[in-house]
Amino acid sequence: MGHLKLAWRNLLHRPARTGLTVVGIALAVAVAVSLIGFNVGYRESINTSIDKLGFQVMLMAKGCPYEAATMMLKGGTGLLYLPTSTFDEVQNDPEIAAITPIFIGVAEKEGSGIRDDSASSFAILSGIETDSFLAMKPWLSFSQAPGAAGSRWFAKESPDEIVMGYEVAEFEQRKVGDSFYATVTPQGSTEPVTHQFRVVGILERTGTQDDGTVFLPLSTARKIFNRPDELTIVGIKLREFSGVKLREFEKRWAKLPEVQVVSLQQVKTTLVSLVETAQTMIAAVAIIAIIVAIIGVINTILMSVAERTGEIGIMKAIGASRSDIFQLIWAETLIICLAGGVLGCLTSMLGSRGVEAALRMLIDVGAHGSIVAITPAILAGALAGATALGVFAGLYPAWRASSLRPIEAIREGE
Amino acid sequence: MKSENDTTMTDIVLEAQGLTKSYRRGSETVHALSGVDLTIRAGEMVSILGPSGSGKTTLINLLSCLDAPDAGVLSIAGRSVSGLGEEALTEVRRGRIGYVFQKFHLLPALTVAENVELPQMFLGRPVDRARTMELLRLVGLEDRAGHLPRELSGGQMQRVAIARALIVQPKILIADEPTGNLDRVNGEAIFALFRQLIETERLAVIVTTHNHALGSRADRIITLEDGRIVREEAGAASIGSPA
Repeated sequence: MGHLKLAWRNLLHRPARTGLTVVGIALAVAVAVSLIGFNVGYRESINTSIDKLGFQVMLMAKGCPYEAATMMLKGGTGLLYLPTSTFDEVQNDPEIAAITPIFIGVAEKEGSGIRDDSASSFAILSGIETDSFLAMKPWLSFSQAPGAAGSRWFAKESPDEIVMGYEVAEFEQRKVGDSFYATVTPQGSTEPVTHQFRVVGILERTGTQDDGTVFLPLSTARKIFNRPDELTIVGIKLREFSGVKLREFEKRWAKLPEVQVVSLQQVKTTLVSLVETAQTMIAAVAIIAIIVAIIGVINTILMSVAERTGEIGIMKAIGASRSDIFQLIWAETLIICLAGGVLGCLTSMLGSRGVEAALRMLIDVGAHGSIVAITPAILAGALAGATALGVFAGLYPAWRASSLRPIEAIREGE
Repeated sequence: MKSENDTTMTDIVLEAQGLTKSYRRGSETVHALSGVDLTIRAGEMVSILGPSGSGKTTLINLLSCLDAPDAGVLSIAGRSVSGLGEEALTEVRRGRIGYVFQKFHLLPALTVAENVELPQMFLGRPVDRARTMELLRLVGLEDRAGHLPRELSGGQMQRVAIARALIVQPKILIADEPTGNLDRVNGEAIFALFRQLIETERLAVIVTTHNHALGSRADRIITLEDGRIVREEAGAASIGSPA
C-alpha cells in the first residue's frame, strides 16, 4: 500500500466531507471552464458569423454602424436606408472585386397576434440579387431534408417566390411548395398589407443569420415595402483587403452624402469588446469562486487534520516520518482537487448548452452557432489548474500535520 | 539448555542511564522521571508497575523514542539515541521498536491486514502479505484479515495492534497498558501471546500495567513511584511458577 492508496482510503472513510469539498471545487472549475469556453466560443462565433456575411466592407446609411452590423448578424428593427444611386456610383470602383445590393425589411408573420411580445413573431425579409449575392456566399446550398426536395432559387423578378433559411423553415414548419404569409406596412402607409409567398427553396444550415432569413428578389422586397429606390446595405469585397486599402476606399467614398463605409473587422472588434465587459464581470465571479474553493479545500483538510490529530500521532508512533505524513495529507488534497477538476469538466461539458442558453438570455450576443466552445485545451488547462490548486492548498495543512509531535498528537487525539 | 538461555539473556537491547524528564504545568514543574537506570535483554519480559502519576507512561515514551529525555543516556539495539532530533528518533523507532497502545489505535479506514502492513509502507518496504498472514495466524486472526477494525472486539483489535507492531521485526516490543481496555480473559490472552512471542521471535517485551497479577507474569518486575524505580524483583516467569 502506498501513500496514494492510504489517502484514497482515508477520503472514502469520510464520504460526506470529501463529497462536499469535491462538489465545491467542481462548481468553481465548471464556472471557470464555461467562462473560458464562452470567451473562446464567442470570438469564434463572431468571426464565423461575420466571415460568412461574405463581404469585408459594407456601405450603409449614416447612423450607428455597429447597430446596423448587429442587425445584419441577428436581425432587428429601426432600419435605415440609402439610395440605390449609391450602389450605381460605387460599383465601378476599380478596387472592388465583388459587390451586392441588399434590402432588408422586417415583416410581421401570420398569427403574430397570439405572441405579440415574441421576437419570433417577426420575420427578416432579405431582398437580394441572386447572382451577385451567391458570388459573395458560394457556400450557400439547398437542404437535403425531405421537405426541401426540388429546391431552387426564385426567378429574378418573381413577385411571390421565396427561399427560406434552414431555421426559419424548421420553425415555421414549411416545406417546398408551401405558402408563407408576411404582413408588411409599406413606406408612407399605416395600413399593413399581407402578402402570400410560395416557398421554392430551403437552404442548408450555415450557422449564421442566413438560417433565420427569408430571401426574396430584391425588386419584390423593395416593392412590398414601397421603397423602390432604396437599399439597406451594399456588401463589398475588395480586391486586396488591408488597413491602407480600406482607408483609401473610405476616403474615396466619404464624399457620398448620408453614406458610411463600415469595415467588418471593426465591427468584429467592437462586438467582442462589448461582450468583454460582461466577460470581465463573469471572470470576477469565477475568480471569487476559485478563491472560495481554495479556502474551502484548505479548511476541509485542516479540519480533517485536526480531527485526525490522534491518528497522525499513531502513524508517527508506528514509524511514519514527517515526509510520510506530508505526502499523505498532500495526496488527499490532490485527490480531492483532481476529482473536483474532473467533475467540474464533466459538468461544464454536459451543461454547456444550458450555459449557452443562459448567456444568450443575459447578454445580447449577436452571434450565431455555438458561443460556448469547451475545447480539449480548455479542459486540459482546467485539470492542470485543479492540480495546481491541490498542490497549493495542500501545502499548509500537510506541513501542519507533519509538524505534529507524536506524543502530543496522540494525547490530543485522546 | 540452561546455559544457552543464559547466554542469550546477556544480549542487551535497551540500556538507559539517569533518564530524567520534567514537564511544565502552568507555573509548576512536574518531575515525571528522575534518574532512571534500566537494562533490558533480548528474550526478556519486563513489567513496569506503579500507581497513576508514577511516571510509567513517561518512561515508556522515552524508551520507545516517542519523546526525548531532558537528561540521561539511552541506547536502543546498540545505537545511542541521546540528543537525536525527531526524524532521527523516527528512524530508530521504525525499524527497532514495536509499539502497542492501550486503546489499540487501529486506523478505521483500513482493513485488519492493511493496518498490520502500515509500518512496512512507512519503511518503504513492499507489502509482504505472506508475512502479514503469518502474523495474523500467530495472533489467531487469520480469518479476519479483510475485516475493518469496527467489526472486531477489543481483544481482537489489540491482537491486530500486536501483529502490526511485529511486522517490521522489531527488537523490542513496548506496550503501554495493553490490557487496560480488556476484560480479564482477553488480558490474560494478550500476556500469553507476549510470552509466546518472546519464545518464537526472541523479542524483548516491556509492558506497563496496573494489573499486578498480570504484571507478575514477567521475568522482571520494576515498580515506579514518583518518577523513580523503588523496587526491582524477579517475576513469576523467571522463577518458573506462572501465576
